[in-house]
Amino acid sequence: MSLIPRRARVLAGSAWPGREVDGYANLIAARLRKLAAARSTGTLPVSGPAEGAIVLRGGHVVHAESSRTPPWRTVDLAALGLTQAEAGPSPARAGTSLAGPSRAGEAVPEAAEPSTGMLAGLLAVTEPIIDAATELLSTKSRYTKFRRSDVPGTVQPYPIPVAALLAEAERRHRVLSQLAAVVTADTPVIRGASLGRPRLQVSAPQWALVVGMSDGMTPREVAMRLGRSVFATTIEAYRLVELGLLAVTGHPPPADGRGRALAFMRAVTNERGTDG
Amino acid sequence: MILPAADELLAPVTAIDGFRLGCLVDAATGMVLASKENPGGSPPMSADASAGAADIFHVLTLLSGRLATGEGLQDVTVTFSDSFFMVRPVGLTGESQILLLIMADRQRTNLAMARRTIRDFCASLAS
Repeated sequence: MSLIPRRARVLAGSAWPGREVDGYANLIAARLRKLAAARSTGTLPVSGPAEGAIVLRGGHVVHAESSRTPPWRTVDLAALGLTQAEAGPSPARAGTSLAGPSRAGEAVPEAAEPSTGMLAGLLAVTEPIIDAATELLSTKSRYTKFRRSDVPGTVQPYPIPVAALLAEAERRHRVLSQLAAVVTADTPVIRGASLGRPRLQVSAPQWALVVGMSDGMTPREVAMRLGRSVFATTIEAYRLVELGLLAVTGHPPPADGRGRALAFMRAVTNERGTDG
Repeated sequence: MILPAADELLAPVTAIDGFRLGCLVDAATGMVLASKENPGGSPPMSADASAGAADIFHVLTLLSGRLATGEGLQDVTVTFSDSFFMVRPVGLTGESQILLLIMADRQRTNLAMARRTIRDFCASLAS
């Protein structure tokens, strides 16, 4: 299910030629920063390998979806404890709204104050947005005219600052660059590789991935099938290749050490955004 | 931070004597969900510290995967000359695996008390 109006998605397919990004997502990032500075509310359609849109409310990102990440699924916020009515003073109520001042007449859903037991819920509603934004901020993406007031009514209640989103997308791109020597989101992988050891222990998410995939599927296809984050699934696929439970057909990891192990530490440089 | 609103969640662990930094990190992606730093402390270090915590967690996960002893990681404590670096999985159910990272001043921290606070905090988050 898409929360983005069809017209906005169609517009993304006819992007202005001058808006095309050649090799870097700087222009989209710069546009998002400007929209954030202006505390804009609306939808920024994006086209390219990953079509979709980024939705802002009050200059903060409240939704994003991409054709290359699992489709948006309605999340039962109440079941996740994210719409509690009784809470103490939250940042929004205290006058330091996370979304910034709203425009006149604009209905801003009340965000529940974070409390215990809500972390998984927060992650469940924000990870799909960041996953989609990471795809939309790829090197060959382009944006079209920002459409004001196209904000769906059911966006998640915790706005994400644009600067934080851009920094996270940039970090993820660096992580994916590290993985690329072994596996990418679009690399077919197979099960049943030679383990070379009698027993292995995997986590529940890893086992779900192994069980949920068929030979020759890519991490992206598995993520789409399971409705999971493409980025997280690609990392899990890499780790399962490390363990020997999965293998990359025709592309064994380089034996000369060129394929260095994944390290989040190496993906951290600073807090700047994609256009920094 | 990706979820500034979640920073409030870390309030209980800031009571640890010698508290310097607290972060909640998504182990699957290495993303920092929330962080709190002791004001007036060292320069911002949550991104590097969180990435390090996620890397440590995954190295140990790979180790336990190969040893296949059926055990799960409870916590990690690293002792530096001036600080403690503590990582504990919050233990949420489902797909999510969130880590709590605490950095604390070694001279001012009672390690046993800190570990107890961390354990209780993680239990409350998982409830």
